[in-house]
Amino acid sequence: MKRLTLLLAGAALSLGMTLPASDPLTVSEGDEHGHDSSASAPEGPHDRPPLDVVLDIHTDAWLRAPSEDWFEAQAELDPDRFSYVDDLLDIDGDTEGGYQDKLGEYELRYDAEEDEIAYWQYISADRLTQGRRDYVQFCSSCHGFDGDGYGRSGQHLRPPPRNFTKPFYKFTKVPGHLLPSDESLILLVERGLNGTPMLPWALSRDQLNDIIQYLKSLSPEGVGWRDVYSEVGHIVESDGDPWTGREAEAIQAGQDVYHGTAKCYSCHPGYVTPEKLAEINGLPAGSMPRENFTYPIAKITENYEVQGVPMLLLPPDFTWQDVRAGTTPLELFETIGAGIGGTAMPQWKGSLSDKDIWAMAYYVRSLIETYKGHPEKRAEFMSSLRTGR
Amino acid sequence: MNALRLSFNPAKTLTRVLASSFALFLFSAGVSAQDVVNRWGPTPSASSYGDDFDDLFWLITALVSVSFALVVILLVVPLIRDRARPGKKASYDHGTSLHDKRFTACVSIIVFVVLDAWVLVIAMEDLQTGFWNYPNPDNAATYKVEVLGQQWAWNFRATGLDGEFGTPDDILTTNTLTVPKDRPISMNFTSKDVIHSFFLPDMRTKRDVNPGSVNIAWFEPVIAGDFDILCAELCGFAHYQMYGKLHVLEQDVFDTWEKEASLMAQAAYDKNDTEAHWAWEWQE
Ligand code: HEC
Ligand code: HEC
Ligand SMILES: [Cu+2]
Repeated sequence: MKRLTLLLAGAALSLGMTLPASDPLTVSEGDEHGHDSSASAPEGPHDRPPLDVVLDIHTDAWLRAPSEDWFEAQAELDPDRFSYVDDLLDIDGDTEGGYQDKLGEYELRYDAEEDEIAYWQYISADRLTQGRRDYVQFCSSCHGFDGDGYGRSGQHLRPPPRNFTKPFYKFTKVPGHLLPSDESLILLVERGLNGTPMLPWALSRDQLNDIIQYLKSLSPEGVGWRDVYSEVGHIVESDGDPWTGREAEAIQAGQDVYHGTAKCYSCHPGYVTPEKLAEINGLPAGSMPRENFTYPIAKITENYEVQGVPMLLLPPDFTWQDVRAGTTPLELFETIGAGIGGTAMPQWKGSLSDKDIWAMAYYVRSLIETYKGHPEKRAEFMSSLRTGR
Repeated sequence: MNALRLSFNPAKTLTRVLASSFALFLFSAGVSAQDVVNRWGPTPSASSYGDDFDDLFWLITALVSVSFALVVILLVVPLIRDRARPGKKASYDHGTSLHDKRFTACVSIIVFVVLDAWVLVIAMEDLQTGFWNYPNPDNAATYKVEVLGQQWAWNFRATGLDGEFGTPDDILTTNTLTVPKDRPISMNFTSKDVIHSFFLPDMRTKRDVNPGSVNIAWFEPVIAGDFDILCAELCGFAHYQMYGKLHVLEQDVFDTWEKEASLMAQAAYDKNDTEAHWAWEWQE
């Protein structure tokens, strides 16, 4: 009898009737039982007005170009294209020298209103259109049709997708007070950000280049790439790894810098016992710099916001959260050296020696390799630090 | 020259070639069936109901293979037997006689009753005892997860230690889901944008993830380890990159993990950032 029922149920199913158990349930709007009055399931796309996405761009753009050093380097590589001209600009009778681009893509221009001279890059409307088309296809679901970081799929997402109308970037490995170079942005998009929905994008260099130009052009007048005063920087450089072959030593040195001079533990967790910390800093034993020393402290950052609400960013615990912009010593050197733009994490290149930054890169990597993804081992390590506190 | 031409009989040669290659096929298939399954077959089942699913899968594969072989034989044998030869005219038969019609009807009924109904009954039984046999949500052993799909990532929300959604200790992860072994894992799905499909191949679990409604599914992992999470519904350009990892931990390791994850979640929680609080009321 039971078999017959099942058979009938199966027949009904194949006739397109739905069984109660597989009935889709409707989402409750709002929330009566949860603890957060604003909590609600996301609504379907059918509730939204039809999309009206403009794909073509009709105005050319002039965007800020890198500084003179970059042109100097380009002139060496390609002397036919770039050359230094002593009287490139004539400003009220005074001549100003600068690099000239035979192709006319880059130009030194004088802004009379601000009384500033700066290099600019010309991007044609065709190129922007090309970039916009690819952007809409690949990036807009998260970053929004207008690049405001609030696309359909980017909603409720933490960290939120970048808002390209603001000049803040976290992981380009270019010091945070500078705008990222084209190269750094292309590399970032190619590599993606580990542990976030920002994927590695396997697009052609030409496509990426056009997309990047389009992203830059989203800066409003007077901001970012449309600001005469802003400066375009480059990925921090290193003269080479001073610790090759001496990894264990580097990790030890890195631990000392991390918990000593650099005080990374003021935001990230500390990974040593109170005694060790006192020893590194030459302090009386037992004094702790802060509560919950082995946990990170989240920081509010106005530069990153969603619908006007500033974001709370958690400096990663390297034994727990994902490090997004790469975990090789070189990548970590660049990340730590440049700092995380727009956040509390400063640029360390310059204030610490390269050798110390490399050491910390090795130290951070050793924390990741030893403990991340090994909850038992990590728990043992962390509780060994916490006991006796 | 002449003799050679006479002794060459195309039909006979064709028969021999066919027969020997079929034998070769059977032989090689017999020897390496295990290899074939290991290389191209499914990964071992890692969930409580996965073996039922696999049994059904192999049963269907076997039934279909046998039927296929039979049909091929029934086709090829008359083709060769009744072909035109010197002194014999090929015979043509459209199967229109009453006898033939009866025969066809009987075979159809037998195939339907024996094969289809058999498979259907087992399938329905498996669904009743497995996939649709949802765990009791009020049972403390049931581990609940809300899954929010999007282009192109999986967002997970677990209740944390307090057992309730929408609280500061909710464990939020992207593309990685950590669950305890030997406990029923109950899931609610919805999507922000387009239709996705949550697929755990090793758990033999798959469920559509639709915007605007909540779907449910469950599984019980019986093997600890790392497994794939895939999207099984073409959902846009980066669909192929929409994958994650399922970590199944032994209960004691899981407890350590959950406690710490809950504390981390609280460190990152911002009560003013209401747009990030996307939990919904649990659906059963
Ligand atoms: C699935 C969602 C998603 C898609 C699609 C996506 N991004 Fe992102 N993107 C993000 C998120 C989330 C972040 C922020 C990550 C963070 O802050 O840790 C981000 C950050 C960025 C950043 C800034 C990184 C920084 O240093 O601050 C750039 C540049 C970027 N995306 C470019 C792109 C481009 C170009 C595309 C299309 C080819 C794209 N993204 C597609 C989600 C997405
Ligand atoms: C003032 C607070 C602060 C200090 C001090 C600080 N950081 Fe950070 N750090 C942050 C924040 C905030 C983030 C994460 C930003 C995000 O992911 O949105 C971060 C991220 C990182 C990352 C991850 C980058 C990635 O790719 O995801 C590394 C590595 C890092 N910090 C290393 C260090 C080291 C080493 C030091 C000490 C030299 C240090 N930080 C000091 C706030 C700080
Ligand atoms: Cu998908």
